[in-house]
Amino acid sequence: MSKLNETDIQGFVLRGYNLPYGRYILLRFENPDRARALVSKLLPIITTGQRWDNGKPQSTVNIGFTHRGLAALALPDATLLSFPVEFQQGMKKRADILGDTGLNAPARWDDVWHGNDVHAWLGINGLTATALDDCCSQLRSLFAETRGAVELAAQDAVSNMVDGQQTGKEHFGYTDGFGNPDYLGIERNSQPGHGKQLPDGSWAPLATGELLLGYADEAGELPAAPIPHILASNGTFMVYRKLHQNLATFRSFLDEQSAVYGGGREKLAAKLIGRWRDGTPLELAPDAPDPSIVKDPQRSTNFTYGADGAGTRCPIGAHMRRAHPRDAFGFNGKLIDRRRITRRGQTYGRFVPEGELASDAEERGVVFMVLNANISRQFEFVQQQWIEYGNDAKQGNDKDPLMGNHGGHGKFVVQGDRSATNPPLVCAHLPSFVELRGGDYFFIPSMTALGMIAMKLVDPR
Amino acid sequence: MSNINGKVYAMNAITPMKPWKTWVLRLIFFVLGHVKSLQQDLINLSFIEFARWVVVPRAGFPQFGNGQEPEKLTYDYLLFFSNFNGTWNQYIDAFSAVLSKGLNLIWQWSEKFPGSVPVTLFKEYIGRVQFDTDYYFTAYPHATANDLKAAHAVQASYDDLRSRVNSLSDAEFADAYMSFVLQVQPNLGETGEAPVVF
Amino acid sequence: MPNNSGKVYGLTILSPILNDDEASPSHDLQIRSYLAGLSTGRESPFAQAPGTHLARLVVMDDVIFVGAPAVEEHLNSKYLIFESNCDPGPDGTIDSYLQGLAEYAGAHLDAIWSHCVGYPGASDRAAFVRYMKACQLETTFFFAAVNDKSVPETLRALQTQKAVADFVETHQGMQPGQLRAEFLQLVATLDAAPMPAVASATVSREMKIGGRNE
Repeated sequence: MSKLNETDIQGFVLRGYNLPYGRYILLRFENPDRARALVSKLLPIITTGQRWDNGKPQSTVNIGFTHRGLAALALPDATLLSFPVEFQQGMKKRADILGDTGLNAPARWDDVWHGNDVHAWLGINGLTATALDDCCSQLRSLFAETRGAVELAAQDAVSNMVDGQQTGKEHFGYTDGFGNPDYLGIERNSQPGHGKQLPDGSWAPLATGELLLGYADEAGELPAAPIPHILASNGTFMVYRKLHQNLATFRSFLDEQSAVYGGGREKLAAKLIGRWRDGTPLELAPDAPDPSIVKDPQRSTNFTYGADGAGTRCPIGAHMRRAHPRDAFGFNGKLIDRRRITRRGQTYGRFVPEGELASDAEERGVVFMVLNANISRQFEFVQQQWIEYGNDAKQGNDKDPLMGNHGGHGKFVVQGDRSATNPPLVCAHLPSFVELRGGDYFFIPSMTALGMIAMKLVDPR
Repeated sequence: MSNINGKVYAMNAITPMKPWKTWVLRLIFFVLGHVKSLQQDLINLSFIEFARWVVVPRAGFPQFGNGQEPEKLTYDYLLFFSNFNGTWNQYIDAFSAVLSKGLNLIWQWSEKFPGSVPVTLFKEYIGRVQFDTDYYFTAYPHATANDLKAAHAVQASYDDLRSRVNSLSDAEFADAYMSFVLQVQPNLGETGEAPVVF
Repeated sequence: MPNNSGKVYGLTILSPILNDDEASPSHDLQIRSYLAGLSTGRESPFAQAPGTHLARLVVMDDVIFVGAPAVEEHLNSKYLIFESNCDPGPDGTIDSYLQGLAEYAGAHLDAIWSHCVGYPGASDRAAFVRYMKACQLETTFFFAAVNDKSVPETLRALQTQKAVADFVETHQGMQPGQLRAEFLQLVATLDAAPMPAVASATVSREMKIGGRNE
């Protein structure tokens, strides 16, 4: 595996920037020539994966296109038709497959998603609110100057602050962002528990082709990709989902259930997801959170479920155990290595600490973004089979307790033992803690491909 | 026509084999059938309810005369029938990822078999030799193989407690009931509708 | 015998379909059309007759040509495939299962198999069983995930599982005396419950295929 060309890959694909302020701008292209002119102007300010030797920049900009967006840029039909089916259809048409029905149905999404107008996504992150605004002003002047795109909506996001400090906590109070996989060739501070497990129990990076088009994947082949290859290589696909969080519902659920649950409120919160709210994995510390584990990269993600088949430490249906089952399905994890996704999430809305009054109606949640080489095989599979269904986890139709589209009908079994502080618990009539407010599938091209698009140089083959 | 009923998918496939090779395959199946440990991967895959391979010799298609013309074939044929849970892609992906050696052992005697790795070529081959099911019945459309195993496990624990309940005091029952709950707690998932096929 | 796995049986039947140039539509199409309208729920012949876990009926038009350099060849007959995973008799043979099909679903079987060569009809049970066995192919290798449970045992278990899950959920934290009384009530309810209907959960569902493009 040769080193990846970081100058050709959008930075957002290779790493989470960990910048506190975000804004996601959704665009509609008006005219192919003017839209290409806009892409040309954007090219020099797109953030690549090149290392930041001089510290973090003030702001970053990344770009992605829906299939309709690529059509609006007048890519050749032969190229447009070579994209995978799910990307051509877009997320809304995949709603039944994804379980985006009922409370999560497209009819309930934010207005911007109701038409089929979203052509492009611009992801902007800033070190400060001012830096973010400055960057956005610059972009907006480019929209106006080229008349290449209309801004349909802008979604602001900001990392939750506790005592004035940026945290990795989402609104329910969980520390997030532990589980992203490692990939061959991508420089990162690797730690055990990332990537895939080998038969000897050690951990290794996943094949690059699980994230990036143009490289071998875990099946030992190149992932399905559009033609020409040069348009696809070093690119990937992004799933964008705005997930609203019903904070009041979540807290009252914890209150009600912990009144009858001997493990107490915090343990119940931990059982839902598989980690204590500070991030300590239940598998490593089932009785109480242990900050020393969270801080230690050798331990914080270094665990498996093999010795906890009964789920008495981490419930079999807990969120984390579903979304990244590690060894839980046997075969040394071979059944899950092609189902991994990279997540880039950022919270939006006001953070309300425990003890203060919160309402479900307030705008609050997480902008959840997934990067993967194959949306159908990776994101859609995880969403349908592991989040909205439980057969692989041997939990029947039970859904992910935290993320599932329950609508008041969910069930979650907390496996326990004879001890007073870890009893079994069956939660029924689960409400939806999280609701979908919209989103779509985006192609995140390489810098080379962006240049080709801007200069109308894409030939099918 | 439907290959799907509730949570199960009916796959049919037929592949041609040179007749001398069928004897090798029969020997392989004989060993596989008699050495149960070799079936462990199939069992562990846990989303196959029933599966079978049937070797049909070129002269082995049922013949009844009455104007039925005899078959004149140069190949023997391998029929494969599977009843599996989950998606078509998941099924083939899993076969390719964890059972590739076993599958190659079974299908490498078939003409044009490309090997079960890499998976895309394998899928193309399966897609080519698969034929569709006209009618598919299951007695329990809302249950997968895992659901069935879970239900049988619950039934066994329940039968045990049921047989003892009358001989137990309230306090003894409370203790036995706790043991019962701990036994059944991994197996209480709902059964119901399957996800939409994709 | 590879047809048997524990307490279940893998029945494979290939019946040659009549090849009659005068028939319109042709016999294979008539089978297809009948199967397309046949209930897969409680009205299914396999729900009415005992002992079927899973079964399929498939019109096999021909063998499949896999491409050169393999040789292209064709069948002279089309075949009706009947693949069933079922409960054999106590002796491990398939006779009682076939007799049950003839007894409870004879009209459906006649409607389907009357398009096959040599089919004697279901009313003569002995001839029917002889015919089906003459069409039977020995299963070379048979795998069953659960091979020690009959159809009624399976339906019961699914019913029990649901009842137990509900019971556990609604009786958390209950005092021992009351818990025992309630459990006895559960036992009485389950003992009195009728056998759940076969295939009763079948709900017609619009097929949505997302495409295979991996």
